[in-house]
Amino acid sequence: MSSMAIKTLGKFIKPGIFDKGTGALLPEAYKKFYKEWKLTEPTAVHYIPEEGKFRRDEVTGEVRPIQNHPIPVIYPKEAHEQMWGGEGIVQGFQIRDWRRRRVPHFWMPHLKRSVVYSEVLNKYISVVVTERTISLINSNYGFDHYLLKTPACDLKALLPLTLKRKILQELEKGCPTYQNEPDKQKEVYNKYKQYLSAYTSEEIEWYGYSFPAACKKIEASIEAQNKPVPLKHVYRTQLIEKLKEAGIKETTEEVAVGSATTWLNKINPFAKET
Amino acid sequence: MWKALMKLGPPLAKSDVLLSSEHLLHQQLRTTFVVKRRIKPFLAKQGEPPKKLKTRHYLYDLVKNTNVEKKSDIEVILTSFVEDLGNMGDKVTVRPNYAYYHLLLPGLAVYATPENEAKYKNTETTNVRHFSSPRALHVIKALSRISLSIIMNKDSPWTLQPWHVKTSFRKCGFIVPEYAITMPKREIKGPNLDLEGKEFYIIVTVNKMETVKVRCQIRHWSTDITNRLPYNEEFWKKPTELLFADDELAKVETTKID
Repeated sequence: MSSMAIKTLGKFIKPGIFDKGTGALLPEAYKKFYKEWKLTEPTAVHYIPEEGKFRRDEVTGEVRPIQNHPIPVIYPKEAHEQMWGGEGIVQGFQIRDWRRRRVPHFWMPHLKRSVVYSEVLNKYISVVVTERTISLINSNYGFDHYLLKTPACDLKALLPLTLKRKILQELEKGCPTYQNEPDKQKEVYNKYKQYLSAYTSEEIEWYGYSFPAACKKIEASIEAQNKPVPLKHVYRTQLIEKLKEAGIKETTEEVAVGSATTWLNKINPFAKET
Repeated sequence: MWKALMKLGPPLAKSDVLLSSEHLLHQQLRTTFVVKRRIKPFLAKQGEPPKKLKTRHYLYDLVKNTNVEKKSDIEVILTSFVEDLGNMGDKVTVRPNYAYYHLLLPGLAVYATPENEAKYKNTETTNVRHFSSPRALHVIKALSRISLSIIMNKDSPWTLQPWHVKTSFRKCGFIVPEYAITMPKREIKGPNLDLEGKEFYIIVTVNKMETVKVRCQIRHWSTDITNRLPYNEEFWKKPTELLFADDELAKVETTKID
């Protein structure tokens, strides 16, 4: 038993989001996505990580271990409707002059509205992007390749993750957008089908949802499964069955509904008496 | 009004904002930044989570700004003829922004992946328009637009030769070799003031492949100043009559300009 396990042996482990409430009902497929999204270390965008395990000081010859502390990055809620390509807001301090006290500074990503083209969906999408997103699309040879190759921890925002799910769903169906051009449909499918092997059908269905959205989704599905039957329907059938058992004639006959015998007709004084 | 305004704030020239020796870029630059900690955070013990960061660990120095750096060119394969760039199937190296917004998004090009290279290898056989050179269409467009004035002598006799046309082209900035010029079948002789300002067509062959009809007008010119004809201003805008009523070259089919 490792030393870490011994330390946590008698301790109370705080329940996580998947241990309580609706979170506990979520399928393993969503948990896998969530792990890929939130619990994987993203690529370093705003700092250059040091390589290797140890470093020797050039002057003193002292050996020290290398531990990379990622720079904390802020992702505001607006980022979820845009595509920042892994960038975020860096909040920190600057010393602009050696005579001055440090001053707080926000390093903001440069945003611009642009267009991306998804070949699988055959759609041009107007989105707010950063320069980094465009260069990533170029280096990955296309928007679809970029989304499908990049893990969720690097896409970060919900917009690209949702688009990734839609693209995967489209691929799973065999690109129905190109129904009228079978050659093109086959070509596009063959181009991107390699990415389908990483996911099962359920994983694709649960990909790219935020935790509250996933909870809502599963709640809706549970509600749809056990839809409450009105008690009047239950009692009516029970009554009819009882009457049938008793052998009453009217139960077997079909009762005419609507037509001339509605209650409104009976009240109408001008109606012709038949 | 201006006096009142001056009272409200100090005049611009006196304010130290513009005259200060300090640079003005203290304001936020909205670009991608790579930063570095000035003070290293505490080392964590083996197998334990990293230690908490102090305020001094949030003191950053800017290492580089990737938005300001020049991006390298990218390679694309054209899927149709692009003016001044190349034919279908040509692999061209262009600036990334131009490639993305003007070639890749409109569908005029694809990324130069190995699969695309194999796909667009033999495009000569396809029935897509090919031009002899990237600039060919540009030249054709320019030549079809101009009205070439061929300046001939008013005093001594001449017969119109290709070298006359070549010289006139050179005066307009077009270097046209003589073999590329197709003259009208009927001879044009002068000096004849009936020819003055009347249009006829010649055909120019670009790179021995594309053909274009060029409008020409004969203008008489004399070395004697008193004998010269008055200058016809903006003659290319005025409608003129044809020199030959049934000009054969006017009916010849030439390379289409879309």
